[in-house]
Amino acid sequence: MKFKIDGLTVYFPYEYIYPEQYDYMMDLKRTLDARGHCLLEMPTGTGKTITLLSLITSYMLANPSVGKLIYCTRTVHEMEKVLEELRKLQAYQEKCLGKVAKMLALGLSSRKNLCVLPEVSGEGSRESVDAGCRKLTASWVRALALDNPNIELCSFYEGYEKSGADALLPTGVYTLHDLRAFGRERGWCPYFLARHMIQFANVVVYNYQYLLDPKVAGIISKEMEKECVVVFDEAHNIDNVCIEALSVNIRQQTLDGATRNLSQVTQLIEKSKATDANRLRQEYNRLVEGLAQRGNLPGSDTWLANPALPQDILQEAVPGNIRRAEHFVAFLKRLVQYIKARMNTEQVESESPVSFVTSLQNQAGIDQKSLKFCYDRLHSLLLTLEVTNTDEFMHIQTICDFATLVGTYTRGFTIIIEPYDERMPNIPDPVLQLSCLDSSLAIKPVFEKFQSVVITSGTLSPIDLYPRLLNFHPVISNSYKMTLTRDCLCPMVLTRGSDQLPVSTKFDMRSDPGVVRNYGRLLLEMVTAVPDGIVCFFVSYSYMDGIVNSWNEMGILQDVMQHKLVFIETQDVVETTLALDNYRRACDCGRGAVFFSVARGKVAEGIDFDRHYGRLVIMYGVPFQYTLSRILRARLEYLRETFQIKENDFLTFDAVRQAAQCVGRVIRSKADYGMMIFADKRYNRHDKRSKLPGWILSHLRDAHLNLSTDMSVHIAREFLRRMAQPYDKAGQGTNATLLSQADLERMEKK
Amino acid sequence: MMDVDERPLRLDVDDDGAEEDEAMADRGAFERHYADERSWEELQEDESGMLRPLDVAQQQRQHRKRMAAMAGPHIQRGIIRYVYVLLDFSRAAAEMDLRPSRMGIVADCVEAFVREFFDQNPLSHLGIILLRNGIAHRLTDLSGSPETHIKALRSNMECAGDASIQNALDLARGYLTQIPSYGHREIMLVFSALSTIDPGDILEAVQKCKEANIRCSVVGLSAEIYICKLLCDQTGGIYSVATNEAHLKELIMEHAPPPPVQAEISVASLVRMGFPQRGAEDAVALCACHREVKIGGGYTCPRCKARVCELPTQCHICGLTLVSSPHLARSYHHLFPVPPFEEVANMAVANGRQSISKNCYGCLQELPTPGGKVKGVRLACPRCRQHFCFDCDNYIHESLHNCPGCESTSISSSQPSQ
Ligand code: SF4
Ligand SMILES: [Zn+2]
Ligand SMILES: [Zn+2]
Ligand SMILES: [Zn+2]
Repeated sequence: MKFKIDGLTVYFPYEYIYPEQYDYMMDLKRTLDARGHCLLEMPTGTGKTITLLSLITSYMLANPSVGKLIYCTRTVHEMEKVLEELRKLQAYQEKCLGKVAKMLALGLSSRKNLCVLPEVSGEGSRESVDAGCRKLTASWVRALALDNPNIELCSFYEGYEKSGADALLPTGVYTLHDLRAFGRERGWCPYFLARHMIQFANVVVYNYQYLLDPKVAGIISKEMEKECVVVFDEAHNIDNVCIEALSVNIRQQTLDGATRNLSQVTQLIEKSKATDANRLRQEYNRLVEGLAQRGNLPGSDTWLANPALPQDILQEAVPGNIRRAEHFVAFLKRLVQYIKARMNTEQVESESPVSFVTSLQNQAGIDQKSLKFCYDRLHSLLLTLEVTNTDEFMHIQTICDFATLVGTYTRGFTIIIEPYDERMPNIPDPVLQLSCLDSSLAIKPVFEKFQSVVITSGTLSPIDLYPRLLNFHPVISNSYKMTLTRDCLCPMVLTRGSDQLPVSTKFDMRSDPGVVRNYGRLLLEMVTAVPDGIVCFFVSYSYMDGIVNSWNEMGILQDVMQHKLVFIETQDVVETTLALDNYRRACDCGRGAVFFSVARGKVAEGIDFDRHYGRLVIMYGVPFQYTLSRILRARLEYLRETFQIKENDFLTFDAVRQAAQCVGRVIRSKADYGMMIFADKRYNRHDKRSKLPGWILSHLRDAHLNLSTDMSVHIAREFLRRMAQPYDKAGQGTNATLLSQADLERMEKK
Repeated sequence: MMDVDERPLRLDVDDDGAEEDEAMADRGAFERHYADERSWEELQEDESGMLRPLDVAQQQRQHRKRMAAMAGPHIQRGIIRYVYVLLDFSRAAAEMDLRPSRMGIVADCVEAFVREFFDQNPLSHLGIILLRNGIAHRLTDLSGSPETHIKALRSNMECAGDASIQNALDLARGYLTQIPSYGHREIMLVFSALSTIDPGDILEAVQKCKEANIRCSVVGLSAEIYICKLLCDQTGGIYSVATNEAHLKELIMEHAPPPPVQAEISVASLVRMGFPQRGAEDAVALCACHREVKIGGGYTCPRCKARVCELPTQCHICGLTLVSSPHLARSYHHLFPVPPFEEVANMAVANGRQSISKNCYGCLQELPTPGGKVKGVRLACPRCRQHFCFDCDNYIHESLHNCPGCESTSISSSQPSQ
């Protein structure tokens, strides 16, 4: 349908719209009008994606000055979903407007997902596919192939190069699959084609990293115009993504690998000196002139860009002491040596980048400025040496990443050296972490560069904390309720077992056998009352292992298995996938199953347990972060000093958002229904509970607080019976949950 | 004298009420008090958790909607049905959320259902299968005698072990595929458990039921289960879940009237039937069904002259379907139903008359008016435009199958109304 919002004609590809979608559009439009940023919380299952797409593309149609829509998702799967919605929308717009509404929309991902050359795309990891491609497409390889027909090239890259400026995508919406199909048909490499087409596209869908990680953003998103609208979907963890983008971990194998890399590089330098000394000399001259990179590289040669943020990169000549290849290698050797020595320690050390650089200067004679140039210098060297198997040089790259970051930033970072994992003190596993503490650093360029940035998710509560964490001022921040025709959401707070003893995963209570038994009995009661699938989330892997073991010893697990099969998430991805698969099958065939999973795990973040795959989710405990972690403590301190965020506030916020994320897995659409049990006495406290997203809170009745196991079972039975009754999807009269075009026109008139 | 000819006159609604009244009189004061306590079912919880009385009109509307959904406009109905009733007597049936136990209530409902079923479908057959201890156990063969089923059920009241829907489906399908092609195959499952523990692939069993044109319906006792929903969706049956005892009975009873027939499988066919004569009061004959000598009553098969005790049934000797003509007549109304009544929304300017009727055309009770003290809905027959109350609407469509308004106009104007 077609309707007006505040004078803007919006094209919406469905017959009806939810009231909250309409409100969301209003706020979005005001944000775009104000050319500012916004923060919007809307529950999943309310059609957030189509709302965003439909309003922003309609806005772009009306205001051609707006550049692109850049839509960032967390996973490839989400990306494909967005593009499918967009396809529907595009078809509708074209039906209404004809040719004017032509748009080009495409998804962009790494070579691993786009490569169509079977020999290369079959490689396992992302790095090896990149390297495999480079071996076939690097400029020097192609130059050699001109004389020597025996050298292998990628026919798709050659096809793409030959067509030159004619290699274009016709308008339309392209998922990764479509891109591959198109590439195969034309004989063009879809990866390079997609990267090229980004500048002509109206809508680009890609991963967060393409904007937030300077290494990737530097090559992909540099050219985006200022007038773009950026959307971060499912952004509840955006602060962590920002932090990860600027953090580096160095382990023992990194150091070993780096040492190996350095001797390889030395050999290559020797060889190159013997065969083509000119090349190295040319490089030296270039460096004197201050060009770390060789001007405009052909696409196939581009490397990951500098790990530091663009505004912090010096546009100066490379310092003299690392200009010559041999000198640079020696420099790196000293650096690796130094790090190795530092990691060979018995106790935990933590240090600021400033003091680290100072002691580096004193003990290894390495100055800050040279550190800063490390990454670009390495890049230049590897290009000069015509290295194509880049995946093997990952380790030395990591070291240079670290060097550049540590040389660039004095604030907002910390260096922590741990000789072993706190939780396993007997196994030596030294690690040096350069950890970014300030999530606002990585996202700052995005806020500064683009006219409007939309941050949205189903769980952004408390909504006032995000602007402080990310250090920006949203024009609008809002949280929407879900309009429902029936109460299909049933959150409960369970504080005690049937014996009235409190339950909690608080440190001093979690191993109490009474608590363990009460938690077990809760599950046991629930498997007899709830059909099909139940999901349980625990606060950590170690806690889950412990409690499952105890339940096994108490015989509770055996009783549970009389009613439902039990599946467990492990740290092994393949195993977990298999378990999930069997879990779903058991739900499909009526056997019923329970899935044990961990908050903050892969499953909690990315897997939906909608419909019969999750009629109930039990959140055992409050999933606080491991508070003894040094990095967390450093971050808390930084937050307190820089943003005046209290430690407790942050920890609670973080725990509750993870819990909300877990329980939110069960309801993915309005036709669905599900129960959520927060099983910990601490959830009954106002400070915890109030941080839950509004759409959960509004269903959390007072009568559902402070429950014991038997009470919650009673509520569950009643709820399930009620939900099994037929209902009227549209709702009536005052609690209308669907608006038609006519309704909207009436609203517009008022 | 329990005579067949009397049965069409039995008025279900009133009868049930009378029975209950009698039962009440028998009970002690304490028990009566308890029964009154059941009035909590007249209450419902609102959003804030407060109790408030049910909205009568809303309830009645919901009931009508459900009925309408089942009836549909002009559909063909199968009046010769072969139904297997599958009862879940697994461990879950021992639960006491219904008193005295789920099993007891289910048995009561099924007993009522069996009687009602043969009342409404005199030409049909029914059998019972029990799910217990992970296996399916055939309690009674497909047959036309309500008493056999009820007796067998009453003597088999125990529950244990798991339930396996797959076993039960496979067993029922085995029998149902043998029935003559004009019969309509149905399965009705009353399911207490929340899971089915099967030796094989239940999805395959569902598929096979679908291929065999067996309409499977499920009445659940506790919650919606995906596999049951799938089974009903795939085979065109109805899935419903009971919220309380009364609702359970209603849901089971909904399966008594013949269901609509899927167009592609309904082929008109001729069925051979016998209309036996009632035996003389003092005649002595060997009864074919009880295998003993009986005096008086009974019926004689017109083909082989064997004696049977009740109708309808299949002759135990020659297998002929034996019915009486009132049976056929009663099945007939399913083919020419009374049109569904419409709710009179705007009570002020209804049906173009100056003033609207105050009283129900059927029972002369007062009808609800805006602001009046009688609550509920007001309904009008689309043909004769007379107004009726909710109870009469039910009675006319479910038991009487004739509209009093239409009948009297067609007499007075002597014009066929159909
Ligand atoms: S150029 Fe494209 S198709 Fe060829 S190897 Fe590289 S990514 Fe694959
Ligand atoms: Zn006979
Ligand atoms: Zn009446
Ligand atoms: Zn009439």
